[in-house]
Amino acid sequence: MALTHPETELIPYAKGELAAAEHERVAGHLATCAACRESLAAFGGILESLARTAPEPPAVPWGRYRTELREKLEARRHRAWTAWWRRPVPLALSASLAAALVFIAVRGGQQPATVDVASVEQAVLGARLDLLRQYGIVENLDLLENLDVIHNLDGLETSRKG
Amino acid sequence: MEPSDEALCQRVAERDEAAFDLLVARYQERAYRIAWSVLRDGEEARDVSQEAFIRLYQAAGGFGGRARFSTWFYRILVNLCLDHRRKHAWWKRVLGGGRPDEPDGREAVIERQPAEPVDPLAGLGREQVMTQLWAAVATLSPQQRAVVTLHVQDELPTREIAGVLSCSEATVRVHLHRALISLRATLGKA
Repeated sequence: MALTHPETELIPYAKGELAAAEHERVAGHLATCAACRESLAAFGGILESLARTAPEPPAVPWGRYRTELREKLEARRHRAWTAWWRRPVPLALSASLAAALVFIAVRGGQQPATVDVASVEQAVLGARLDLLRQYGIVENLDLLENLDVIHNLDGLETSRKG
Repeated sequence: MEPSDEALCQRVAERDEAAFDLLVARYQERAYRIAWSVLRDGEEARDVSQEAFIRLYQAAGGFGGRARFSTWFYRILVNLCLDHRRKHAWWKRVLGGGRPDEPDGREAVIERQPAEPVDPLAGLGREQVMTQLWAAVATLSPQQRAVVTLHVQDELPTREIAGVLSCSEATVRVHLHRALISLRATLGKA
């Protein structure tokens, strides 16, 4: 059987964190391996010493700590509210979006092309209002044309007889 | 009955300021001590731990309750500490050393050692050994130091440390083992 030292499992073993099968395996190994027993004792001693003598960080006035924290939180909220307008990319995107919406609104609000033609026709008719006022003459145009034809017919008749 | 951390976090998500204040009061000392153990600077530990509380306030809605609140919060905190160290490591190299109060990462730790508890069996030699041991802890990698701190000072099991550091339990075991090998070597030289 190959001798594989469960080095990284020694502390979890001592803390009772290993699953049952793994715990049994490490226990079996420790029963036969003096080097691992020695390592386990040394590591355990180091951790225990560190736990007893852990250095304390510089003292903090906790009231002031919480006041500072509150101020930072308020500043962050305010910045989050205003930062959106300061950023160039979102601002540019917003401007583009607004321009696109205006364009769509203007284009969408226009009347269909057939209505445009009607408007143009109305405008043309308006310009010809004087002509329309002389509608009686216009109405008699057919009659005048007929007189021409009659006059011509008279001429044709005369030439045929001649 | 005191509300649980998880219940308070839920209330923070609903923007309950009193719940936030209560969580801060519960965790401020632990957060500061963990930040200090990684950063080894009082001012930086204060700033980074406060930043962790701000992130907690902002992200409380994302706490799904799958892990314990402490694991979730320590993860935010330790990640901030490690990011902070990474960002400042480059400047320290450029400026050619550490801060004035911590010229080589050792002296400050020695100075901050508390008085040894009165132990009739402990002599001057033992005190010196412990000083060297903590100095050696200060020279570990930030990840190894975080694992040792969470293991020793916060007594977190390997599984929770893995949750805090967002890595596997096997990785935590390797970090702890390497740290202990290094510290044992320091004791061997002492």
